[in-house]
Amino acid sequence: MAYNKPLPVPSAESKPFWEGCRRHELLVQRCRACGKHWLPPSALCPECLSTEWEWTRASGKGKVFSFVVYHRLYHPGFKDELPYAVALIELEEGPRMLSNVAGDVKAVKCDMPVEVFFEDATEEVSLPKFRAASSGRP
Amino acid sequence: MSLRDKYAIVGIGQSQIGEVPGSSSLGLLAEAMKNAIQDAGLNKGEVDGLVSRGPDDIYCHHQRMGEVLGLNVNYSTSLDNGGASQALGVILACLAMDAGLCHTVVCGYGRNAWSRTRQAAESRKGSLQQHAGAEEQLPREFGPEFGYFGAVATHAFGAQRHMHLYGTTKEQMGAVAVSFRKHARRTPWAQMKKPLTMEDYRQGRLIIEPFNVYDCSLRTDAAGAVVVTSAERARSLKQPPVYISGFGSHNNLRGWFFDDHMVNTAARASGQTAFRMAGMSPGDVDTAQLYDCFTYMVIAELEDYGFCPKGEGGPFVASGALDLEGVLPTNTAGGQLSEGHVEGMLQILEAVRQLRQKEPPGRQVPKAEVALVSGHGGNAVCHTTLILRR
Repeated sequence: MAYNKPLPVPSAESKPFWEGCRRHELLVQRCRACGKHWLPPSALCPECLSTEWEWTRASGKGKVFSFVVYHRLYHPGFKDELPYAVALIELEEGPRMLSNVAGDVKAVKCDMPVEVFFEDATEEVSLPKFRAASSGRP
Repeated sequence: MSLRDKYAIVGIGQSQIGEVPGSSSLGLLAEAMKNAIQDAGLNKGEVDGLVSRGPDDIYCHHQRMGEVLGLNVNYSTSLDNGGASQALGVILACLAMDAGLCHTVVCGYGRNAWSRTRQAAESRKGSLQQHAGAEEQLPREFGPEFGYFGAVATHAFGAQRHMHLYGTTKEQMGAVAVSFRKHARRTPWAQMKKPLTMEDYRQGRLIIEPFNVYDCSLRTDAAGAVVVTSAERARSLKQPPVYISGFGSHNNLRGWFFDDHMVNTAARASGQTAFRMAGMSPGDVDTAQLYDCFTYMVIAELEDYGFCPKGEGGPFVASGALDLEGVLPTNTAGGQLSEGHVEGMLQILEAVRQLRQKEPPGRQVPKAEVALVSGHGGNAVCHTTLILRR
């Protein structure tokens, strides 16, 4: 069945982020002047306003800063997902991003450690999602 | 020179409130502005300023309002700070008058959220997302692909974090809803009159956890308006003046999800500015009319304004503090949770009513000398405060 959830509509700034996701790499912007990491993508460093920045690969580890659980349907594509958790993930490098935490919604807690995985939504788009971090790290 | 007590609210007006089938936001606001001008004992030719905020899809909203009311003015504009716009409109009116641009300003906001929603549902055009999108102006990435849509979830994130940090409970949020429903039941025009007990609250249908249906404000067709003029002129008008003692604003433009903004909101800095201008502190406030888009925001604002320490908002509201006989009667007409959701406009009207001290027993806050009004909105980061006195 065709993918029926909304797909990201990249901006000029965010295009490399989504290209990274397609390669299953989680990218964040890093300022060469002050070392700040940030998301969502933007044209200059939100700390020091430098335009000297680069895309860098994040570790993919982070924690749940906060989360909500949807019980009401806002888009037909999520009909079979209810109830589902949307979480604000704070990456190890500092930036925060919205995503989903896979698995039982009752197991999601603030500050729980999580790690990224990628879900191939279509031929062109992969979405960064998170799950509870594996306890024994390889 | 300080603007403390230099300007006053001299007229208030509201439209029909609730489910008003077929209403338009312009029509409702015209009715409210007309009523406010009449309440002040003025005729429209004596108004030379207009500040409005319309639905965001009406370009240059103030021009449309001027057309509808048949007004040419010296100063007019329309605002774009979401639910913080309505109190900000009163501030802009003061600033414009102080700069000599005008002398009497009508400010207002109207919406037909209930009618619009019903029309959309009945026409069955478009997906659920488009329906939500018309109001929320959803982003196109970093949200919808994960099933994140709109303001309910935004505020629910804050509530969840607050519960995690301070042990705030669902029952404490419920206490806000129950207190405001009690106020609404004594308010003739309020949208929700059905009794609401804590048990009803506990059984409420889940929307986006931690919020259930009773944590969320109403969909309302309604408008409100006020007339603002100089304190000097106010003293010769029909109504007892309600003086604007202090005001403030603060906007956490870096975002609700940035830093700890979802727990320590922009209300803190906005309130500090307003209290400083008024030469007052939270202990001077007899009634608060707070922006209650969701129960959690009331708890966060009470803390941020200093009515109780950070993290103690839950126990504070659970003590009955917000009731008419409580230590801080709050949203005494029922607020957006039970009176009607007009994005903070009705809060200003209710503060003025209480300070005029002409409400019937059972509605009147005893010895209401000072009121605090808040506005909150945009993408949950804009905040405005008014401190009013009789």
